[in-house]
Amino acid sequence: MSRFDPEARRMSLADNEVTRWLLFGIVFMAVWEVAAAAYDAPFLLPGPSRIFAEFTRAPQLIMINAWITTQEIVLGFLIGSALAMLAALVLLVVPRWLEDFIFRAVITLNSIPFVALASLVVVWLGANTIASKVAIAGLYAFFALVYFAHKEMLSTDPLKEELLTSYNASFGQRVRLLKLPSALPVIFTSLKGAAMAAVNGAIVGELFGAFQGLGFIILDSRYVGNTARVFVAAVLCTLVGWMMLGILAVLERRFVGWHLEMTKQT
Amino acid sequence: MNATAVPGEPAATGDALVSVRNVTMIYGGGTVALKDATLDIEQGEFVSLIGPSGCGKTTLLRLLADLIEPSSGTISIGGKSPAEARRDRSYGYVFQAPTLMEWRTVLANVMLPLEVMGFPREERQRRAEAMLALVGLDKFADKYPWQLSGGMQQRVSIARALSFDPQLLYMDEPFGALDEITRENLNLELLRLWRETGKTVIFVTHSIPEAVFLSTRIVVMTPRPGKIETVIPVDLPQPRDFETRETSRFFEIATEVREALRKGHGYEVEV
Repeated sequence: MSRFDPEARRMSLADNEVTRWLLFGIVFMAVWEVAAAAYDAPFLLPGPSRIFAEFTRAPQLIMINAWITTQEIVLGFLIGSALAMLAALVLLVVPRWLEDFIFRAVITLNSIPFVALASLVVVWLGANTIASKVAIAGLYAFFALVYFAHKEMLSTDPLKEELLTSYNASFGQRVRLLKLPSALPVIFTSLKGAAMAAVNGAIVGELFGAFQGLGFIILDSRYVGNTARVFVAAVLCTLVGWMMLGILAVLERRFVGWHLEMTKQT
Repeated sequence: MNATAVPGEPAATGDALVSVRNVTMIYGGGTVALKDATLDIEQGEFVSLIGPSGCGKTTLLRLLADLIEPSSGTISIGGKSPAEARRDRSYGYVFQAPTLMEWRTVLANVMLPLEVMGFPREERQRRAEAMLALVGLDKFADKYPWQLSGGMQQRVSIARALSFDPQLLYMDEPFGALDEITRENLNLELLRLWRETGKTVIFVTHSIPEAVFLSTRIVVMTPRPGKIETVIPVDLPQPRDFETRETSRFFEIATEVREALRKGHGYEVEV
């Protein structure tokens, strides 16, 4: 077996996704640690060991705040995505002129800088509740999904539509048997984007006004010059995002495994 | 030309399964896709519509299926309008592309119309399995369409069209995208299905040998504007097999079709 045999390469240790992520993580942290030690300016760039040490100084405080942010992200993601799917479906049934009007409204809203929108939402819903952060995360998730979900359900294969016409299928059957399943691969890709957007949304919301959460920790630690704790918060945000991506990847495999197989084959 | 005067055309008695009377189809841009078409098709026939692009053969099929509505003229299918016939699920449509749902297994694809039409679950399963056996694909029930060859995909599509036991089978160049060898095999298989199920088949093609081999009658159509040039009966004995293609009668009929196409300046077809 040649050293360059692709089969042999595939059979190496790094053949499953989790192992490859672990390997990457170890290498990445090692490089970071060495680079941080060489740079020797922990106030600017703390290494992983210093960040972990910072976490262990107040694990409970940090985890309480991380839990709050996680709730905001997950709630915002669920509500935003559900509303986006609902909107995408409603847009299929409303008259053409109304669809056009709503879509222009969506595009207009979408072109307002989100940060400006977020500061307004905090003003409207208040800084001391998680509602404002859920709303911002939801808004981010909604816009990340609605456009693609709607476009994909609108642009189904005309022959498949005619096939269902020949069966005299109802609109509900058309959605359930054709539009939704054929749009599902793109919907899953967009959901991953929506999850990342919800993470951003929650943190942006907390930066604009909150007395708890990882965003608040970032803001607070920066004021007191605790860079390591800013990093702790950033790392935890990343982990929450990864957790959501992981769940979505499992669901994706479950519901659109056919698409993953099909694209692998062709 | 009045199609009822053509030899081989049954007299317009009005009790034909499919009856097309002076049907004209003009599309939005003013293109006359089909002009003054009149045609009767009896129960159990295998009728091919042949002609070059733009002769209106697919338009005629889509009119019969109520996928479009004629600009003028009347169509009756078993005494009903095409819209009623569609609502009563009286035809199965096989498109040029297999048009299978990639997210459904082969079996689930064949069950699709049964699901839409509200058949009970066990009935769906039973019928779909029987249909797959009929087209020789019962071993592939659990595969996905994209794991099958083009010819197999088209057989699944035929099984699907037959699954709810419609009276009519409409086929729009179903084998047009396949290679010659696969196509000849599927032609043979289609004839067997036609004999075994007793369906009335209306088959669009641009291949003269395919039309002659399959049909009991060939409707020759010519373009600009799309119209029925003539109708040629095919008296080759049944059951037909590969040797049918080598008989002198086969060539005589093929020549007759070819000349009819030439007469109507429609000789831009595959030979």
